[in-house]
Amino acid sequence: MSILVVLAQVAGRQAAFEASEVRSVIDLEQLVPVPGAPPHVAGLAALRSQALTVIDTKRAIDGNVDDARIVDEDTPKNRAIVVEIGGHAFALLVETVSDVIALEGETLPVPGTFGDGWLRSAKGMVETARGPALLLDPMAMLSVDKIKSF
Amino acid sequence: MDELLAEFVAEIREMLQAIEGEIVAWERDPADKARLNAIFRFVHTVKGNCGFFDFPRLERLSHAAESVLADVRSGHRAADSHLVSAVLAVIDRIAAMIDTLESGEDLPADDGGDAALLQALEREGDTAADELPPIQPMESGEARRSSAPAATPRTVRLPLELLDQVMSGVSDLVLARNDLARRLRDAGAEPALNGPFDRLSGTLGELREAVSRMRMQRVEHLFNAFPRLVRDLAAELGKQVTIDLDGTAVELDREMIEMVRDPITHIIRNALDHGVESPADRLAAGKHETALLAISARQSGNCITLTISDDGRGINVDRLRDKALAAGLVTQAQVAAMTHSELLELIFAPGLSTAEEVSAISGRGVGMDVVRSNIEHLGGTITVKSEAGKGTVFILKLPLTLSIIGGLTITIGGQRMAIPRSYVDEIVHGDADTLEFSDVGDARLFAYRGERIRYIALAQVLGLEKTDVPAQALVIIRFGSGIVFALGVDRVLEHEELVIKPLAPAVAEAGIYAGIILLDDGRPLLLLDMPEIGRKNGLIHDHRAHIASVEDPEQRSELTQRRRLMTFVALDGRRKAMPLELVRRIDTLESHAISLNCGRPQVTIDGRILPLEGCEGGPIPQDRAHVLRLTDGTLEVAYIVKEVADSVEIEEEIVPFPDDITIEGVTLVGGEPVAILAGHPIFANHHGTADAGKLPVCRLPCDDGWTNTVLAPLILAAGYRVTRDLEEPATVSIEFTGENPSGRSDKDVPVICLRSHPQPGGTGDQSIYRYDREAILDALEASRKEAGDRS
Repeated sequence: MSILVVLAQVAGRQAAFEASEVRSVIDLEQLVPVPGAPPHVAGLAALRSQALTVIDTKRAIDGNVDDARIVDEDTPKNRAIVVEIGGHAFALLVETVSDVIALEGETLPVPGTFGDGWLRSAKGMVETARGPALLLDPMAMLSVDKIKSF
Repeated sequence: MDELLAEFVAEIREMLQAIEGEIVAWERDPADKARLNAIFRFVHTVKGNCGFFDFPRLERLSHAAESVLADVRSGHRAADSHLVSAVLAVIDRIAAMIDTLESGEDLPADDGGDAALLQALEREGDTAADELPPIQPMESGEARRSSAPAATPRTVRLPLELLDQVMSGVSDLVLARNDLARRLRDAGAEPALNGPFDRLSGTLGELREAVSRMRMQRVEHLFNAFPRLVRDLAAELGKQVTIDLDGTAVELDREMIEMVRDPITHIIRNALDHGVESPADRLAAGKHETALLAISARQSGNCITLTISDDGRGINVDRLRDKALAAGLVTQAQVAAMTHSELLELIFAPGLSTAEEVSAISGRGVGMDVVRSNIEHLGGTITVKSEAGKGTVFILKLPLTLSIIGGLTITIGGQRMAIPRSYVDEIVHGDADTLEFSDVGDARLFAYRGERIRYIALAQVLGLEKTDVPAQALVIIRFGSGIVFALGVDRVLEHEELVIKPLAPAVAEAGIYAGIILLDDGRPLLLLDMPEIGRKNGLIHDHRAHIASVEDPEQRSELTQRRRLMTFVALDGRRKAMPLELVRRIDTLESHAISLNCGRPQVTIDGRILPLEGCEGGPIPQDRAHVLRLTDGTLEVAYIVKEVADSVEIEEEIVPFPDDITIEGVTLVGGEPVAILAGHPIFANHHGTADAGKLPVCRLPCDDGWTNTVLAPLILAAGYRVTRDLEEPATVSIEFTGENPSGRSDKDVPVICLRSHPQPGGTGDQSIYRYDREAILDALEASRKEAGDRS
């Protein structure tokens, strides 16, 4: 049985989320900022009658992310993947969502060259028909106490 | 059970619930006619209704209680504790009978208990309490509760999950309706759609309300049983305790109410058993012999805070530590590294009891560990604070999986936010320029209803960049315990009913928000966590706040009445205090507004001249001076101080200070002795002379330039009013030698003669050289005194 993943671009890299963890992919209309919240909290949004905590995924993975690496200026800034963790709904901002695709081959460990943020946030390196992707673990990504870089 | 009987039972039950608190309050103050009447009405109603049914036992009991209470009402009998206990016993019996009736059974025949109760009622005065039939209020209380569901007409049990699902479905419907409304508007009005759409909206509104009521219950239902519990426990333990309930209107999940009942009961038992001292010990410790137990409920967002505080002896941390060590719960090394609050947390450790002896009240093998695990099981937290000799506070925070609160929406930095309405005392509009602020140290104070309260800008709380933009409106925040502060916001929008959703941990971490609200248009809104904001910004101190809140002013002896004082440093460098009621406002002004002429110092503020007190003891500060503006209601007096300190509330004894009439007494503020100034001499000095319209009047001879620009200001500064009207009665008249413009000699008005030459015109010349300032002022002062003596 093949595992389906949602392919998305995060911080200029191809990333994958397990389709079973993704509740929906949405375009956020309004973002309400949360003063005083950690930097990786981009704000709040609503999905029907549910409140979403919007996560700046780049920052959640690596606070020191190099903004210049984000290639395409025209990519939508409000595309998000909705996941549910611990009873709360989170919208993870991504640059693009490209496909839902089956995994090919085995999950490999993340190469050390990716840096601590990615090592913490990713379950592994996967291969797809569209090339390799980092399989992200939203829960690990949001374990705030481990984010020290800012 | 026929309908009439069901109605009777329901009515009695309702009344029983209502008078439960009354009866305890009545016992505390038997002279309280209102309470007595309420109880009398109850037994009277029971008796009256018995006539319709055939309940001889009920009728006999209620009749007996009624006649006893009637005697009390007419003053033939005193409501001593014996009588109150007997009446309580009868009411318990009535409640038990109502339970029986409710379950559809017939009342059993009298087993002889009724007769004993009746006898107890009849007996006067000094009967020993142990002759009474045993009263088991707790048991009967529980019995009543367990059978209570039978009173609700017809019920079904539903899993809460299902209710949650319905609730969230209704919320979705509302949002869909709003979306539809927008689209209908955008697409152009189609009149045929209006009717059905309005009907849909109306129905949806009702549905929403019904759904939100399904789970909620006022916390009153939980609190109602506590006065009785406390009364009975206190009687059993031989202690004196009053209970203070606050926040009974807060709504809590029904399930939650049932779940916290036992833990809170346990905490109350502990407080009375271990915390509260015997009346003799309390007196020896310098406390009032009656202890205070305060229970309060507060809602903030999706969190309910229940606070149970007592002013007993506090938790003995040393003993707690020793026991934990003995029980092997912690090691010496661990203990050595623990803070006071960490040591206090040991009370929740399993297998620990601090009481010397296990008593019948609380030592039942159920420890605080069980209480904590129960609370945590509900997703709540419990914390304890305690100070040796001062008391103990337990704070329970309970989540609301679903809750609707009234909120006030505001804007700040272009963003909308909400404040729970329960904390909002008042809204003050106006920008910082028109509002009255004063700065004391780092704190900004706002004058609110004659008090100075702390002010904080919400922009600053949120760490917004543009904190220098003055707030356009103030929201006055009040907590149950009387803590007030002002919160500056950009704009106040409106009151709304808000559905609170829980916060994600990352957002909760900010420590500013209590929940998320989704508005009808689908926009999310943050709900501010006012208690947390208050605490983080040093505006609230949990422990003191709650201990202070339990004080009942009427219960306190005269010497230790709570007083609010404005503390300051006087010109002589000493710390003193002014009764806060006298202080109208605090002003900072340029020192040249102060004139010290002839021992009658005055100050010019806002175009008015006020007498100035407090000048003795030190020089007037250079440049700027602080004055307290005092008023006794008619007269305003300024009091100069070196530095303004805090306004404080003291409970310490005020030691009278008979040697100095300017001092009311000495008290301790923060452990330091501070003299409290007496208001009387301050105002007595000035009444009759400086009263606004009653300033001494100086009649001036003419209207020329020198008189107006040189002389008049000098006279004004001396505290006179100037007139040129020859008909107006004056205290003194100034004339120039050789001139008598009035052309008459007014014997009633003393005259000060001024001459233009420095040297007197000859012996016997009483005139004063017009530039001899001191002499003019002395003459004016002498006239003033003379006038004062005459009147």
